[in-house]
Amino acid sequence: MIIYHSINDLVSLSEQLKLPMWQVIRKADCEARQVSEEESFATMKKMYQTMKQTDADYDKNLVSPSGMAGGAGEKMRVFNASGRNLAGEYLGLVMEKALKTGESNACMKRIVAAPTAGSCGVIPAVFLSFEEFNHMLEDRMVEAMYITAGIGAVIAENASIAGASGGCQAEIGSASAMAAAGLAYLQGGDNECIVHAMAFALKNMLGLTCDPVCGLVEVPCIKRNSAGAVNAVTSAQMALAGIRSAIAPDEVIDSMRRIGNELPACLKETGMGGLAVTESAMKVKEKLDAR
Amino acid sequence: MNIFDIIGPVMVGPSSSHTAGAVRIGYISRKLLGENVKSAEILLYGSFLATGKGHGTQKALVAGLMGMKADDNRIPYSLELAEELGIEITFGEALLRDAHPNSVLLRLLGETGRTLEIMGESLGGGIVNIAQIDGIATNFSGDYPTLVVHNIDQPGHVTEVTSMLAHKSVNIASMQLYRSNRGGDAVMVIECDQEVPADSIQWLEHIEGIKKVTYLSLQG
Ligand code: SF4
Repeated sequence: MIIYHSINDLVSLSEQLKLPMWQVIRKADCEARQVSEEESFATMKKMYQTMKQTDADYDKNLVSPSGMAGGAGEKMRVFNASGRNLAGEYLGLVMEKALKTGESNACMKRIVAAPTAGSCGVIPAVFLSFEEFNHMLEDRMVEAMYITAGIGAVIAENASIAGASGGCQAEIGSASAMAAAGLAYLQGGDNECIVHAMAFALKNMLGLTCDPVCGLVEVPCIKRNSAGAVNAVTSAQMALAGIRSAIAPDEVIDSMRRIGNELPACLKETGMGGLAVTESAMKVKEKLDAR
Repeated sequence: MNIFDIIGPVMVGPSSSHTAGAVRIGYISRKLLGENVKSAEILLYGSFLATGKGHGTQKALVAGLMGMKADDNRIPYSLELAEELGIEITFGEALLRDAHPNSVLLRLLGETGRTLEIMGESLGGGIVNIAQIDGIATNFSGDYPTLVVHNIDQPGHVTEVTSMLAHKSVNIASMQLYRSNRGGDAVMVIECDQEVPADSIQWLEHIEGIKKVTYLSLQG
C-alpha cells in the first residue's frame, strides 16, 4: 500500500519508488479507490477541464444575489489590455482569472472546489494562465494537478482546509500552497523545489482570518483568490531561484494547524469579527435584510 | 483521504455547505419520498435561515427536490422550473431547539399522496446528515443505499428485515435502531453495500406491524 501522511512521506516515497511525485500521488489514489491509472488520470483531467470551462463561461454581466460581487474579472481584463499592466503579462492574467472564477462561484456558476468553493479561483488562475502563456500540453498540466491534490491532502490531514476550523489560511492559504507546488513542478522544479514552494506560499498566508461579510463567500473571498494566486507565483519563483525555507515544510503545516486552533471563533467563518463587523459590512447587511 | 475531495467536487457555487450540501439534502429527500414532489414546505433554521438567500440555499434545496445534483447548471433557476412544473413550494422558519446551525425541515407531499417529513443538516464540505425522518431521530449521510423502516416497537421486525436482506444477498454496512418509547413507534435505518430490490421493499410494506418503508436508492 502506498500511503503518505506528510510532505516528507511524499518526497521519500518518490525517491524510494523512483517515480515522480505526481505518480506517487496517482498510485496512492489508484490503490485507495481501486481504479486504474487511466481512470484516475481521466478523473483529474475532467477536473482540470471543468476549471477551464468555468473560466471560459465567465459572464461579465452577472451579479451575485447580494449585489456585492460581479464584473471585477472583466475590469481586470480591460485593464490588462490597456497597456498599463503593472505586473507583467503572466501575473496580469493570473489576477484576471482568479477574479473570474471567484466571481463565477459567487454567482452560482459551476466550479471545482479546490480545495474549497471559496478558494476555487487560485489553482485555475495559476494553471490556466501558465498553460495559455507557455502553450503547454494539457496532460502535463494534469500531472501538476496531482501535485496540488497530494499537497492538499497532506494539509487537510495535518491541519485543515476549512475556514470554519482554521480560518482563511486554511482555504486561500492551502490553495495558494497547492498552486505554488504545482507551478514549481511545471517550471521544471525538483521535489525539493516543489515542497519549498509550498512552504513559502503557506508561510505567507499564516494567520489569515475568515471574516466574510454577511457570511457570504464574496467579501473578502473573491479578491483573496487573486492575492493567493499571485502569492503562489512569488513562492514558486523563490523556490525555483534556489531560495529555501528555513522552516521545514511539514512544520509550516503544523504551525498552520496550531494557529488555526488559536484563532478566536469570531475570525473563523462566523461573521462576528474582522471585516464582517465593519460599518460598511453592516450597511450591506441592512440592505440584505430589507429585501 | 480521497484526493478528489481536495480537487473537487464539481459544484454550483457559492458554498459547499449552504449550496452543495443543500442540494444534497433535497436530492436525498426526493429519493426517500420515492416519487415526484407535488408540494413542499421548506422550513429553514440557523445559518441556513440567516445567510441562505445570499448562498442560494432555497434554490439549492428546491433543485435537489427536483432530482438535481450539486453540479447541475439549472440550480440557479430551480424556483422558476418548479413553478413551471406546478410544484407548490412554501418557505418558512423552522422553530427548532439546539439543532445543527445549518438545518432544514422539509414536509413533502408526493404525486401519489405519499408524505414525508425530513430534517437534514449540512455538515460542511458538501457532506450532509439526515437527522430525522417523520419525527424520529436518525443519522445517515446518504452515501449508501439506505433502507428506513418504521414499525411498531415489538419483537421480530428486525429479524424480518435482516433475514430478507440476507436472502437477497444484500450486505449491511451499518444499522441503527431508534424508538419513541417502549411499544411505540420505532425506526430502523440500515445502510447497505448493495441495492435492495424493489419487490422486497414492497413485500416489507405489507408486513403487519410495519407502518412505512422508505428507501434511498443510489441508482438513476
Ligand atoms: S474568508 Fe472565509 S469563506 Fe472567504 S475564502 Fe477565506 S476561508 Fe473561505
